[in-house]
Amino acid sequence: MTLVAKAESLGPATEFVRKGAREANLPEPRVGELELLIEEIFINVTRYSYPEGAPGVVTITCSIPAPGELAVEVGDQGIEFDPLTAIPPDLTLDLMQRPIGGLGILLLKSFAKLVTYRREQGWNRLKFTISANP
Amino acid sequence: MTIEQTQVGGKVVLHVAGRMDAETAVQFEQHCDSCIAEGSTNLIVDLCDLTYVSSMGLRSFVTIAKKLRDKGGELRICRLTGLVRQVFELTRLDKVFPLHDSVESALMEG
Repeated sequence: MTLVAKAESLGPATEFVRKGAREANLPEPRVGELELLIEEIFINVTRYSYPEGAPGVVTITCSIPAPGELAVEVGDQGIEFDPLTAIPPDLTLDLMQRPIGGLGILLLKSFAKLVTYRREQGWNRLKFTISANP
Repeated sequence: MTIEQTQVGGKVVLHVAGRMDAETAVQFEQHCDSCIAEGSTNLIVDLCDLTYVSSMGLRSFVTIAKKLRDKGGELRICRLTGLVRQVFELTRLDKVFPLHDSVESALMEG
């Protein structure tokens, strides 16, 4: 599915991956994790990929590579960014030293079974897999 | 997301239910800001019925906790469950906030 990369599109994006989760027979706890992952990626695209005031598109593709497994690929034509190379947050800092953000990619890496990134003809393509049996 | 506010012996308890995501986190933050503006320095947040929190929700918790700390108080979090507990543990925010198994124990702490 193709959506405008803006916060309001998160609802339809979530509904789309939920449908994929049903088709892949993912159990309810995995569906919650899937919703979390699509939000983290989607919000990153809407906030950082496209310059302010110039929203582009975001594509979402679901596939079932194996029984009980759902693969989701999110594509955007924004600024090249490989989240997998981002510096991980320092989780040992106390409250006042903790930065306000920076935890979304950690959650993505933690909950997804597999995450890959590629830059392809002007597109960022981030793909993750979530499995019924983590 | 719904936020139900009660006052227990001069302390504010917020029962937050539903989903705290990119859309609703701001609602929680604004509610806490109002409590701080009205003079609260300690906020007790009961999350037993919160089923979902994303990093945008975590941002709000950290932001509010810092504001309270600046005023000499703290954000006390109670009754994490399921996915929400997992998210707090993965990000080690369970080590940053005072966590409580019950609202009563959060109320008893000073």
